[in-house]
Amino acid sequence: MKLKVLSLLALLVAGTSNALAAEGELSIGTEGAYPPWSMSDANGNVTGFDADVGALLCTKLAVKCHFVVQAFDGLIPALKAKRFDVIISGMSITADRKKEINFSVGYAELANMFVAPKGSDLTGITDIDTLLKSLAGKKVGVQAGTTHAHFLEKRAPDADLKTYDTLDQMQIDLASGRIETAFADKSALQDFLDKPDGKNFQLVNVEIKSSADPTLGEGVGVGIAQENTELKAKIDKALCELIADGSVGKASQKWFKTDISRPCN
Amino acid sequence: MDLIQLAVPVLLKGLWVTVALTLISVLIGFNLGLGLALMRLSSNAFLAGFAKYYSNMFRGTPLLVQIFIFYYGLGEIGLVRDNALLWWVISDGSRCAVLALALNTAAYTSEILRGGLMSVPLGLVEAAQACGMSRLLRFRRIEFPLAIRQALPAYGNELILVVKGTSLASTITVLEITGYAKRLMSQTFAIFEIFAIAGVLYLVVNLVLIALIRSVERYLMRHEAQSKRVSRPQLDQSAAA
Repeated sequence: MKLKVLSLLALLVAGTSNALAAEGELSIGTEGAYPPWSMSDANGNVTGFDADVGALLCTKLAVKCHFVVQAFDGLIPALKAKRFDVIISGMSITADRKKEINFSVGYAELANMFVAPKGSDLTGITDIDTLLKSLAGKKVGVQAGTTHAHFLEKRAPDADLKTYDTLDQMQIDLASGRIETAFADKSALQDFLDKPDGKNFQLVNVEIKSSADPTLGEGVGVGIAQENTELKAKIDKALCELIADGSVGKASQKWFKTDISRPCN
Repeated sequence: MDLIQLAVPVLLKGLWVTVALTLISVLIGFNLGLGLALMRLSSNAFLAGFAKYYSNMFRGTPLLVQIFIFYYGLGEIGLVRDNALLWWVISDGSRCAVLALALNTAAYTSEILRGGLMSVPLGLVEAAQACGMSRLLRFRRIEFPLAIRQALPAYGNELILVVKGTSLASTITVLEITGYAKRLMSQTFAIFEIFAIAGVLYLVVNLVLIALIRSVERYLMRHEAQSKRVSRPQLDQSAAA
């Protein structure tokens, strides 16, 4: 009887000490509302580019993937609170985020753009400075906690910034005319333009690359807890192999019709 | 320390929005609630029924759901978007939040005031009738003051709930205390500190509110201390002089 209790206790202790890095399982935090990167359906199944990258990674590491869906601005706090092992959610590697968590090598590159109603005075603009200046006093939609939000807070301080928990909510407000323009990753905006709601909208013809401002980061990476250096080493190696053999590029072609994978160095 | 210097001024900006949302919603909500309470007690079955269903509907659904229905739901309807006045209300997050909060608190207020009105002794109303007071005068001088005295403790509770309910406005882009706190969270990741400061701000607002309600309550119950000595208001005044 005593032995039974003891072994049960031992099991409990063992169970809590590596509840996350459970043998053979990698739990991945993702937003689940950022098409085509990360979408989750009502049953909790996650699809999209990030889901594919996660699945490729899990296969490479010979572990089982387990996705945890969570609002974007809560992903880093949740990772720090050990709710999951890694973040794969189109998250750009930025200096501010690096103070909180570690990142793998970058696996993809973002191109950031504005979207506006057809015929808006913004659509004719072709250079970034004029564009940022003309945002003064305009209602601009952006997703909370993203590089896009940080970029606009810094570079367009006179804009009337409306922050949304999810991109879906931002798109609803864009379609209903509550906001005059929105700033996001080009692939996500393209997804909106392809929907019926987006038929009266167009991209503003200024592509804002990550190099335009440090707030935009240095490519998209997998977020890993700072103390988890062993896992980072494994993921870096696996990602580099997956990028080199074209698997990530193939997934990118499937979701974006173009290769946005970032070469591993 | 740096964090406090960064967070407090930003959160204080949010504090004014929180206070404004509360004041406007309560102002509209109280009047609507009073109207609904009177409708509920009226002998007209249609009015009473409407007030009853209204109060059940708004008390029976979560405030967050109501806010989403008003903001995202109504915003999708073309009829609303084409109507200038409706769209003026619905298009803006804070106006939409006021609408939802006001309609929500009106439902609770109507129930609280109904309880207060029902507690007014029938004898007093009959006495007022016998004195020849008109219905309006009777309401103003007898029923309402007595009802509000009964209802105040419960209504104070409702006011505190409205203050806390304003935090839900942050989900529809309104930058009040919680909205700013969320923004600061994603800038600094100092979650514990920032939400602790936000919590303190709500606490301060509510403590002030509680003190205010307590003093109003004491004012309305001032007869308690003197009623044993004098019973008629005229005597009351002369004693004070």
